[in-house]
Amino acid sequence: MRSDAPADVVIMGAGAAGALFADRLTAAGQRVVVLEAGEGWALSDLVSSQIWARRLKWGGAPVLPGGAHPFGHNFAVGSGMGGSAIHHYASWPRLRAQDFRLGSTLGLGQDWPIDAATLAPWYDRVQAEMLISGDAAAEGRDGAPYPLPPVKVFAQARLLARGFAARGFAVCPNPMAVMTEDRDDRPECLYDGWCDAGCPTGTLANPLVVHWPRALAAGAVLRTRANVLAIATDAAGRATGLDYVDAAGERAHQPAARIVLAGAAVQNARLLLASRSTAHPLGFGNAHAQVGRWFNCHSIGNVHGLFTEQTEPHMGLAAGGLMSFADYGKQRESGPRGSITWGIAPAVKPNDLLGLAMTRADLFGPALHAFMAKAARHIGIINAICENLPVADNRIELATETDRFGVPLARIVHTLHPDSAALWEHALQDGETILRAAGATQVWSGRQRALGHVSGGTIMGRDPVTSVTNDIGQIHGAANVVVAGGGLFPSIGAVSPTFTVLALAARTAAAMIDERGRFAA
Amino acid sequence: MTDRRTLLKGLALIAATVGGVERLLTPAQAQAAALPLKRLTPAQARTLAAFGEALVSGAAALGLAHYVDDQLAKRQAENLLMIRYLDVPPPWDGFYSGALAAVDGLARIRHDVDFAALDAGQAAALVGEIAAGPDPAGWAGPPAGLAYFVIRADAIDVVYGTEAGFARLGVPYMAHIPPESHW
Repeated sequence: MRSDAPADVVIMGAGAAGALFADRLTAAGQRVVVLEAGEGWALSDLVSSQIWARRLKWGGAPVLPGGAHPFGHNFAVGSGMGGSAIHHYASWPRLRAQDFRLGSTLGLGQDWPIDAATLAPWYDRVQAEMLISGDAAAEGRDGAPYPLPPVKVFAQARLLARGFAARGFAVCPNPMAVMTEDRDDRPECLYDGWCDAGCPTGTLANPLVVHWPRALAAGAVLRTRANVLAIATDAAGRATGLDYVDAAGERAHQPAARIVLAGAAVQNARLLLASRSTAHPLGFGNAHAQVGRWFNCHSIGNVHGLFTEQTEPHMGLAAGGLMSFADYGKQRESGPRGSITWGIAPAVKPNDLLGLAMTRADLFGPALHAFMAKAARHIGIINAICENLPVADNRIELATETDRFGVPLARIVHTLHPDSAALWEHALQDGETILRAAGATQVWSGRQRALGHVSGGTIMGRDPVTSVTNDIGQIHGAANVVVAGGGLFPSIGAVSPTFTVLALAARTAAAMIDERGRFAA
Repeated sequence: MTDRRTLLKGLALIAATVGGVERLLTPAQAQAAALPLKRLTPAQARTLAAFGEALVSGAAALGLAHYVDDQLAKRQAENLLMIRYLDVPPPWDGFYSGALAAVDGLARIRHDVDFAALDAGQAAALVGEIAAGPDPAGWAGPPAGLAYFVIRADAIDVVYGTEAGFARLGVPYMAHIPPESHW
């Protein structure tokens, strides 16, 4: 096996967290090598088409489904430089204080080893750097105000807001990593709804816009189509780097003093489990059989209505211009536990999984054409992000099948907590009430449960027996190996995870720079 | 970095050599030129076109069968079909051949002919049966609901997912980087 020139840090994964680490560590003068299994995208690759955008979704080793509620992995996870954040919706709410204490308040899962106040300054730093728009006061959250004013809203959002008002649910601007004015060579958004197809203009803060240009200019080495096989260890079991197959198919060892696992959450856990040796018979960092456990995700409920008014559903942002935190409490007087946020008025295209035609998957032939003609001008959509409660046995495990390099595939075993199954139903019923109150003449819900956003599998915690990493992502017992991403979350809250992923990564990267000795093998 | 021109040749359009010169064809052009199929048999292509047309009228003429056939010949990471989202392990040739065989098999049970030979009313009734779930009696293939969903999505892509498709609905396309060709 070829051995590459040693690096100070080797990072697996060139997504949002990997890009931030590469940026911070190269700026601090460290030699950084990033190994990315997918393509090296450029902004010019972000073609405005829901068909072409599928290139950006998962195209790596298959992830096998399991459990009573199989997780749809391939739609939720990205592939290549920028990772999921290259096609994400850029809705960046923060987790709330109660999200960090599920273990002590509900007796479910584990508390986070940090609280909201600890993470708040890191949210503040990231939002100042990435430039987020919104209205913190309207959200009812603490911390620094957003650096940019809220996004514009269009006819659809204005109509739907009537329904939320009638329900007694306050709405606020959706906090978006999207420019609402020209600044720092990044232009104001045009509100054409291509966010999740990949925004090439620089208005949406994807990794190709903010972190990657700086990291590459500062000397970070990015190797694409580089599939990591295992964490390499010495005779004592200490991590010495990553073994991988390069783009030409040659096996190589990348030695490094420190390792950051910033792949997709499923792939991080898969790599740890597959890195077995005499010193690590259950896999690296898995002495207590915790790697893979507490896999979690969101249940997403879409509710639709047709209005007599024109709704301009092609205008706006794919995440919707407004949001509601009104049902964020963990417990209800009667009903299931868990938080809900509502996204309001997403811009929608005719095709693809979340497109107009899929809102009525039962229609075909002439009835479909008639529906499309009407919906293209008159549809209104709200979507509930429902918190799934943590379940220890929901897990990422190794399958007996292997990929083309002989590494076992990952399987996700996922069965919803009964409260979480009920919470989704509760949200759909509430959403239909809201749509009718908004004046929709026809209301229906998507009855196919959508599961999105990945968390868990490498959770952080104080106790090495019940968690995989400490509060800055260091694997217990392996100080020079750090995990990044949503896999660290002990519980998921009811907000999109990207902002929290970056706040955690920024905190850990700062520690790797300021307290370097703490990360020695 | 990925070369976009290379991707264009390999993804959205179908590369063909005509008179010694390589040309990029839309699926409809490829179909009109009777370009040889890469993965589907002619019989499978006929069934796919007829089934897709019953799902989303216009799909057959817009080259649904050539589009799916061309995509099935791509490596997984370059494939643009909706099925890549749906956690069906690749390669996907088997899924399509199984689904199309099941569609034809059901047509033969009900009407003693392949699906492509059904009249519009018979085709619509059979599609309704497949869409309603669970698997109709006599269905032998991947889950009928999934087959319906996947092929309907392909037909929607061809009819509505392009600049021309948006235009048919009167929806402004508003591209930042437009796809290379009107299909």
